Amino acid sequence: QYFLYILHIKTLPRHVVFCVCGVMAAVKALNPKAEVARAQAALAVNISAARGLQDVLRTNLGPKGTLKMLVSGAGDIKLTKDGNVLLHEMQIQHPTASLIAKVATAQDDITGDGTTSNVLIIGELLKQADLYVSEGLHPRIIAEGFDAAKDKALEVLEEVKITKEMDRETLVNVARTSLRTKVHNELADLLTEAVVDAVLAIHKTGEPIDLYMVEIMEMKHKTDTDTVLIQGLVLDHGARHPDMKKRVEDAYILTCNVSLEYEKTEVTSGFFYKSAEERDKLVKAERKFIEERVIKIIDLKNKVCGDSSKSFVVINQKGIDPFSLDALAKEGIVALRRAKRRNMERLTLACGGVAMNSVEDLTPECLGHAGLVYEHTLGEEKYTFIEKCGNPRSVTLLLKGPNKHTLTQIKDAVRDGLRAVKNAIEDGSVVPGAGAFEVAVHDALVKHKPKVKGRAQLGVQAFADALLVIPKVLAQNSGYDPQETLVKLQTEYQESGQQIGVDLNSGEPLVAAEAGVWDNYSVKKQLLHSCTVIASNILLVDEIMRAGMSSLKG
Amino acid sequence: MSGVCREVVTLQLGHYSNFVGTHWWNLQDASLCYEPDSPPGDLQSDVLFREGVTLGGQVTYTPRLIAMDLKGSLHTLRQDGSLYESGKDSGALTWYVWTPSVNIAATVHVAGGWRGIYAVTMETVNRSLERAQKMYKLEGSVRVWSDFLRLHLHPRTISVINQYNHDGESHRLEAFSQGEALCQGSVVEELEDRLHFFVEECDYLQGFQVFCDLTDGFSGLGSRVTELLRDSYGGRGILTWGLAPINHPDSTSVKEVYRLLNHALGTVQMANHSSFFCPLTLRGGLGLRPTSPVSFNHVNYDSTLWYHSSALLALALDTMTVSYRLRSHSTPMWQLADALTVSGRKVVAAYGAIPFPMMHGSCLPDALNVYADALPWKPLSACPELDGGRCFGQSVTFRGFEGQNLVSPPIPGSPPPTSLHSLQSGEEVLAAYISSHYPSSPMALQLVSGPSKLTPPFPQIFSQSLGSQGFLQSQYPPLGSTPAVSSLPVLTSLQSSTALGPWLAGTQKMASALDPRRVAPSFLSNGLEISDLQEAMEQLKSLAFCYRDDSSGILRSSSDEDDDD
Repeated sequence: QYFLYILHIKTLPRHVVFCVCGVMAAVKALNPKAEVARAQAALAVNISAARGLQDVLRTNLGPKGTLKMLVSGAGDIKLTKDGNVLLHEMQIQHPTASLIAKVATAQDDITGDGTTSNVLIIGELLKQADLYVSEGLHPRIIAEGFDAAKDKALEVLEEVKITKEMDRETLVNVARTSLRTKVHNELADLLTEAVVDAVLAIHKTGEPIDLYMVEIMEMKHKTDTDTVLIQGLVLDHGARHPDMKKRVEDAYILTCNVSLEYEKTEVTSGFFYKSAEERDKLVKAERKFIEERVIKIIDLKNKVCGDSSKSFVVINQKGIDPFSLDALAKEGIVALRRAKRRNMERLTLACGGVAMNSVEDLTPECLGHAGLVYEHTLGEEKYTFIEKCGNPRSVTLLLKGPNKHTLTQIKDAVRDGLRAVKNAIEDGSVVPGAGAFEVAVHDALVKHKPKVKGRAQLGVQAFADALLVIPKVLAQNSGYDPQETLVKLQTEYQESGQQIGVDLNSGEPLVAAEAGVWDNYSVKKQLLHSCTVIASNILLVDEIMRAGMSSLKG
Repeated sequence: MSGVCREVVTLQLGHYSNFVGTHWWNLQDASLCYEPDSPPGDLQSDVLFREGVTLGGQVTYTPRLIAMDLKGSLHTLRQDGSLYESGKDSGALTWYVWTPSVNIAATVHVAGGWRGIYAVTMETVNRSLERAQKMYKLEGSVRVWSDFLRLHLHPRTISVINQYNHDGESHRLEAFSQGEALCQGSVVEELEDRLHFFVEECDYLQGFQVFCDLTDGFSGLGSRVTELLRDSYGGRGILTWGLAPINHPDSTSVKEVYRLLNHALGTVQMANHSSFFCPLTLRGGLGLRPTSPVSFNHVNYDSTLWYHSSALLALALDTMTVSYRLRSHSTPMWQLADALTVSGRKVVAAYGAIPFPMMHGSCLPDALNVYADALPWKPLSACPELDGGRCFGQSVTFRGFEGQNLVSPPIPGSPPPTSLHSLQSGEEVLAAYISSHYPSSPMALQLVSGPSKLTPPFPQIFSQSLGSQGFLQSQYPPLGSTPAVSSLPVLTSLQSSTALGPWLAGTQKMASALDPRRVAPSFLSNGLEISDLQEAMEQLKSLAFCYRDDSSGILRSSSDEDDDD
């Protein structure tokens, strides 16, 4: 008598244990309070959970998918059709459903897309498997069939992927395919251009792309279509002195991490018996120290600017207190304090120069340059735009929207769009979208089926049928008859031999490549892997045990 | 530079911390004064609050606060608050329509009522304060902290962690390592953004006060957050308060093991990263089998209600933190911390007398005379004082003696009854009293006459012997007409003393006795290894060793270790 645990969710207080084989009596002996569901019942529970989740998300797939409205207890509203956002926001209590949700969101973490497809395919695989299991086929056979089918599908993926140079047009197509599934078309097209240009700006051939260098800044202002790509940086704070200029041109930028404020002295100061005079004296000594630092900066400014019309901007990661601000303002220097740590690296990439950690070795070479620096105030929020940088290697996507939920919607979309572009560049290849890939795999699997030995053929068939859920739901969400569309697609595919997807505007077949509908290769690959694994695992569960309350020694 | 306002940023991590925090902010809100010509109080509210302006140009005054909690814990509170709403379109109508069940609707009503009352313009604030004097019984309806939150929060204040659920069965934040693992990627980025927003506008930031849940996964998050604060804002004070409720709604023995381990790990890590760390709880002990909860004379609180216990802790905090919030002659956080944490003794213990028992119309020497043998305060850190223990430093605060005599009025012709009665100032009286218990220990005293103002929704949990100002009354008022207690004298002490040695050693012993691989295998997830745990235990041990009493030459920590189990 032994147990083989295949899944053990560690973070759960009450352990939900999925057993591959086990003896109920043993479970009961171990923990008399455990709840146990066996064989058929266990499978039924799991399949219904998977299909429940599928039902929730199926209407959100594709550019024509509908939206979900999430309302919090306090009436906060979130409108979205991004599967990843939905799964994160919903409170999923069913253990199986939340397991699937975790796999799907992990897909998003890795590749940035494909969450909804993931849930749909897992649900569909289980549904197809259920048909055979209810007729007496052992789940193990189906799982073997799934495995064989997956290997074949991956081969097909290698065949249909199109390797080509990732020019701007292809990237725009990839980004558009991804973004149109998240936001409305007009906005998607606008964001498409912005994300592609952003990635191209920071991309250097032969180096991995660091999306961190694209700053995403939100601004509750105007409308969503005012979202722009800034070739430079936008900081969400401004100068804290009334006399500092709100707009300077042709500016030197000093990026530094030097404290220009009075801090605690390093000497452990007595607290119990300290008089006020003694303390003031200490403070004065400390201040002098800081004044010297400010003077060094002012000296550098006078050296590089002289009498010319150039201006000088200090961006400090540490604080600048009012005395220091005052001294800087008198010299016409614009100073920003407490810049975010992550922006320090971006600043030097955007404007050039070096971030300084001390004022001792300041030279004109450490300075960056920007053509225009200006401040924009919205209510209590200030924004500083650092623009017109020569050849910036860090850029900012400035998201605008009239309200918070629009902003979050754009933000989620932009994040996915950026990653779609990054994936495409890194894969060096793309896969035809709009359901074309799934139709091709289905066809290949059906042809492959006779080569598989024995009853595992049924598993292959189930796998092939399950993948068709994607084109079917795409058609359904656009208002067409799923079966009719699917038959058209398959016929067209047989006749033309090209990659045929659904034209969501007419319900007719279209050549995906010509229409410019491209999906990420890595997304599809990940999808095939994770769906098969999790569906087989769930299928092979024949017993669900839920630990009771007193399980200390269990 | 004594006239400047030294700003403090507050962080609340975890649900119980938010309970305490909510009471704390309610107390702060009650002490705000809207009369333009009344004299300013002893405490400067600008230390904690910030002035802002909405997009519509209206001036706001909101806490400089970041509150983190889990998904589903807000109930009726909106994450962005309603202060910065642009239009008036979001009427209450939709709110009620979408309320899922009648049961919740009742809570909505209470909470909505509160916020409704305070969502008025400045002119009517005082009027509605008066209106709010009537009694509310919220004991039955408070389920989450937002149910009794009085004031508006800034939209950047509330941060919800979506990875874990507030209640339910799955995805609970229960282990230290889960909390630690949270602090990366988007969570940390969001936190940095929020911190940046509040910190950037401060001219003379003095530091951070961190309220952190000690017994769940938030202790891991807290240790990472304090580390981040220390790294980014070196030289500022970071005062960390580890909060633990008396009981948890669904307790199992496995969970108790988790809590003990979280507590032990959190104490080590947070003490490491903070200027000082002070556990704060009304629990009898933080071990597996605590004794009965702390009880106070003249207070009848329901120890099962978080709403009650958190109110008492908030009241104590409101007194303990006075020294760095004073309008003049304040001592910045780092000085307070430096004084209490000499030679690595980063953990301090809190004690409090809530209320400080004082007869109405009597004087301080009289009141202290009653406690000539035993100190009036009770442990607020589950760390009882040792008889004859030594104190390395303490900060004593006495608040709310408004209208009472601090010194004994001289009675002509008769000698003063005790030496306390002959002293000339309140400071001297208190100093003399405390040094009679802790001879030759360094001590800082702070006396503030203005009390914490208790306005609803602060629970009325006081015995009938207290008058409306919180002083003892010689005769009980007739039954049924008890006036609500509207303020309370409180005496607190923050101590670094030899009592902490055995306390820390006891925690270490209990935690080391457990083998998490056997009793709670899933505690060791997210990269936490058994060796990390052992290393933390070693650190805890050496921390405990710092508190041994050198003067007598005996290692007290070893002889008294069993006292705490």
